[in-house]
Amino acid sequence: MSAATNRPQAAAAEAFAGWLQGLADGSTAGEEQGWLSAERQQAAERVRAQSVPTGKSEEWRYTGLRSLIDQGFVQVDEPLTALTPEDIEEVLVPGLDACRVVLVNGRYSETLSDLGALPRGVRIGSLRAMLASDPEALQGVLTRIAGAGNHVFAALNTAAMQDGLVVLLERAALMERPIEVIHLSVGMDAPRVAQPRHLISLGEGAQAQVIERYVSLGDALYCTNSVLEIALGRDALLTHARVQQESLNAFHITGLYLSQDANSRYAGVNIGLGATWARTDLVTRFSGEHAECDLQGLYLAGDKQLIDYHMDVRHGLPHCRSRERFKGILHGKGRAVFDGLVYVARDAQQTDADMSNRNLILSPNAEVDTKPQLEIYADDVKCSHGTTVGQIEPEALFYLRSRGISAALARRMLCLGFAGEIIDVLGPEALRDYVTEQVGERLERVPLE
Amino acid sequence: MSAIPAEATTVKTKADTTGQYDDLVNAGYEHGFITDIESDTLPPGLDESVIRAISLRKGEPEWMTDWRLTAYHKWLEMPTPTWASVHYPQIDYQAISYFSAPKKKDGPKSLDEVDPVLLETYEKLGIPIEEQKALAGVAVDAVFDSVSVATTFREKLHEAGVIFCSISEALQDYPELVKQYIGSVVPPTDNFYTGLNSAVFTDGTFVYVPKNTRCPMELSTYFRINTANTGQFERTLIVADEGSYVSYLEGCTAPQRDENQLHAAVVELIALDDAEIKYSTVQNWYPGDENGKGGIYNFVTKRGDCRGHRSKISWTQVETGSAITWKYPSCILRGDESVGEFYSVAVTKGRQQADTGTKMIHLGKNTRSTIVSKGISAQHGQQAYRGLVRIAGRAEGARNHTQCDSLLIGDKSSAHTFPYIEVKNPSAQMEHEATTSKISEDQLFYCRARGLSEEDAVSMIVNGFCKEVFNELPMEFAVEAQKLLSISLEGAVG
Repeated sequence: MSAATNRPQAAAAEAFAGWLQGLADGSTAGEEQGWLSAERQQAAERVRAQSVPTGKSEEWRYTGLRSLIDQGFVQVDEPLTALTPEDIEEVLVPGLDACRVVLVNGRYSETLSDLGALPRGVRIGSLRAMLASDPEALQGVLTRIAGAGNHVFAALNTAAMQDGLVVLLERAALMERPIEVIHLSVGMDAPRVAQPRHLISLGEGAQAQVIERYVSLGDALYCTNSVLEIALGRDALLTHARVQQESLNAFHITGLYLSQDANSRYAGVNIGLGATWARTDLVTRFSGEHAECDLQGLYLAGDKQLIDYHMDVRHGLPHCRSRERFKGILHGKGRAVFDGLVYVARDAQQTDADMSNRNLILSPNAEVDTKPQLEIYADDVKCSHGTTVGQIEPEALFYLRSRGISAALARRMLCLGFAGEIIDVLGPEALRDYVTEQVGERLERVPLE
Repeated sequence: MSAIPAEATTVKTKADTTGQYDDLVNAGYEHGFITDIESDTLPPGLDESVIRAISLRKGEPEWMTDWRLTAYHKWLEMPTPTWASVHYPQIDYQAISYFSAPKKKDGPKSLDEVDPVLLETYEKLGIPIEEQKALAGVAVDAVFDSVSVATTFREKLHEAGVIFCSISEALQDYPELVKQYIGSVVPPTDNFYTGLNSAVFTDGTFVYVPKNTRCPMELSTYFRINTANTGQFERTLIVADEGSYVSYLEGCTAPQRDENQLHAAVVELIALDDAEIKYSTVQNWYPGDENGKGGIYNFVTKRGDCRGHRSKISWTQVETGSAITWKYPSCILRGDESVGEFYSVAVTKGRQQADTGTKMIHLGKNTRSTIVSKGISAQHGQQAYRGLVRIAGRAEGARNHTQCDSLLIGDKSSAHTFPYIEVKNPSAQMEHEATTSKISEDQLFYCRARGLSEEDAVSMIVNGFCKEVFNELPMEFAVEAQKLLSISLEGAVG
């Protein structure tokens, strides 16, 4: 019996390995710096060395890769230049005043981006362009944080990256206008995978606000495998919002690798609404004491959607603080996976870590798999986690119904109240309103069950 | 590149406070001694002939021999599990002797006929069989190594219709009952250690409580590992028929020795309609010396099946011993409105490692489960809570509450929490909470200011921390558990 079931599995593993290798190998960009091609080669080596993730490997326990492999995505090679600013109007956030960067299918678009005047000490631009014009600025920074991690898709990204966004803030630079990054995907005739690589680096005491949005034109089928590295210097402050609104046919893989120096502060909000299959890895490392990392998130998963958040926060030094607060609403046949790990090393005394994951299930066919983990080797710490899974309180519904509110509206109100706790953290106001509207619209489409 | 600045000062002050109590740590293992009794032991090694020999010596029916052999062949193909966060050298399964029975001329018919050296052993352990017989009303099926040597109160139980005997006897006297239930909750192929156990188990307990019967007394077995180099492979099977109730106590101590000993037991509980099983464990196997040498490897599979509607299975455990504990007493909540409970206190100190927790599998409607896990980790102790709560799609109205708290004593100890939560039903209510902390200076200061010694203060705080679990233990056990906890933490405090 086992032999019979193993055979297709082995075949799938082989197909996957072949696919990964093809992507890793066939993408060397050629005319670039020695250090980067060395990095690429090592990454390609790591991809080769990795055993193919299956349901048996802990990191992919609840997230099957079969549907991804079956698509046979091939790398995007040519930039798509046909779009005009009018074409992207439909995906903009109304009333949002921001310095705008647009990437189309993973390639930085000069024509669509609108940076405006940048303050002193702030550089924003294309990774590809900077690798050509000023590679020294990136050496030792790019790939340092996402480094030799064993995440197969991050390694694949390193091997195959072609372009992306670079934001560099010098010491004490202050970027007051939010930086809006629109990752726009447009369907091609064959299913394509874009593998952009982004870098945000804030020098000592620098401050910035970044809004990343993943959007698409139409219901295209495509795959995004992006990696974002963030380096925060001493006392730096980054406010970061990520709104994932990929097409409902899309596959979305992102890795966010964060390195925080002493006293720095990172406040991130992740909103996951789109994609049929989405996997996000948030990885935080502290390189100085008294740093603070705040990760919050909201995800809505409906029919044929799988949304997976993996979090890995490692406290290696004393006196750091981390917060993870994720909330999810599941409807239809939606599935969500939450896997959070807080690791406190022996020397990381006085660590303050808190993790919570709360889920609301609206339909009998939805599923949530949550795994909040603590791994603690120091004794003078304050660490806790909490998880809940439940449905809307019948009493709360009854209360609203008895005041003449329709069942559908009552449910929407309660869900928005539940989600509001996360949405309210978002800034600026235009973005907050936009996300509230998106979530509200989405909830409106959920049939009563 | 700038080097990562290590905050040496904080760490140092911590180490200093810990050092203060280190002198108190070396309280030896209280129950460490070896009883010198001739044993009938098979030579080390495992193959088909050993299994046949065990089966033959036990005079088992043929289907049992076949069952063992099937398990053995499956086991040969199984990999050793590596996912638990415990570390130990590879076990050489060919170096273990799989059978050891105390030699006896004729089977003892009453306590008077039992080898006096054995009785003395029990007395050293504080199990006064006679006294218990007279006063406490507890029936004891004491397992000395692998064969039951003393069974009391059989008749009284017999009157009530309760079957309480060793599993070997049950295979002789009630083969059809054993055949019906054995392996039905924990199949031999469940995991590596259940495969091994199914192939070579030598003894254990069988309990059957008939319909609508409340077992007239608490059943109790004291396990004890004695002869050097014999792993104990116990097999416990408890069946509570419709509307019955039974409370079962299990306690273990083991003599001090240098070689690691393997203990791979399997416990299966089956509760039919309206039945309730309460299973309490106090585990105090030899934990090894302060460097982690010696000590028992406790790789146990315990699982209860709430097969009937409105049935209930409750696990309570106090784990203070063993070098390595790998144990997840679980409940399968199959019947509608069935209830599963897991209350646990685990203490790791010295070089002890524990990876323990539970699984609550909700299948029936309106099933409820409660998990309360308290972990205390001192010195170099390593501890992990690993739990699974699965609420299946048809488990309408299922409810789970999980609370796991860890208390760290000393900056070299560690505590981990790995909960897995899988919910497939919208009407389910599931809550999980976990905290990790140390005894606060304020709490200690408060007690000290009222004239309590530091040790007493810590003992009091720890007992308060564990109270929720101790409350679930039967009275006699609760007292023993509290005592055990204070002995275990003696000197480990800081």
